[in-house]
Amino acid sequence: MDENTRTQVGGTQDPREGLEAVVALRRMLEALEAAQVENAFVAGWTWAQIAEVLGVSRQAVHKKHANRIRARYPGEPPGRKGKGA
Amino acid sequence: MIFNRFTDRSRRSVEAAFEEARALGHDSLGDEDLLLGILRADEGIGAEALSSLGVTLEAAREESEELLSAALYSIGISLEEIRRESGDAFEMRIPDDRKIPYSPRAKNALVRARKEMRRLGDNHLGTEHVLLGALHDEHGMSVRILAGLGVSAAEIEDRLNQVRRETPPG
Repeated sequence: MDENTRTQVGGTQDPREGLEAVVALRRMLEALEAAQVENAFVAGWTWAQIAEVLGVSRQAVHKKHANRIRARYPGEPPGRKGKGA
Repeated sequence: MIFNRFTDRSRRSVEAAFEEARALGHDSLGDEDLLLGILRADEGIGAEALSSLGVTLEAAREESEELLSAALYSIGISLEEIRRESGDAFEMRIPDDRKIPYSPRAKNALVRARKEMRRLGDNHLGTEHVLLGALHDEHGMSVRILAGLGVSAAEIEDRLNQVRRETPPG
């Protein structure tokens, strides 16, 4: 990483660049959350377990991710046999 | 209301813009998505002008991702590494059950598109007006994506005028 081209995190170097980094980070965070929740689900974790680690309610994590993940894994995903998804 | 006077082509380009936004993980419709939508729908004067300047959907998408990657890099994060570490489940796509609103920039672009239609003395709002609307904001992502592809807003406007002289409106 070239220090000259790098925004100081939380600094005031270039507000536009700093704000755009926030937008990029938010998009990436959403994608990362979706991927990690899916990985946990496929590994057999329950919604309650996933929610606990994320620090949110089971309902919140279910509402946000269940439809997408179920659509991706019709029937039981690998690692979830008999776990009652 | 927002689609008042839109042609079928320009309406389809906005629908395609929402599909692009979703695929790229944009939680609101950006002005660049309007550009990508025109390329994706691939019809009308806007699409014709862009393609005649060598601007393709694939190249514009890549440039959009490049800008995202550069913004993350500026705060010391590598999108590539995160992709690699997260495996196949990592994708930027916004799930189908989540609504994507218009961003202020996209709204402004569509307001501007209507002004361009009037300025040009047209009765219908076509993809060329949407494109001009998206290109109006010099700080907008559309302008930057096209700059990255080596095409300026002025060049596009010239080409649009040229295509308009040769084609019926749409």
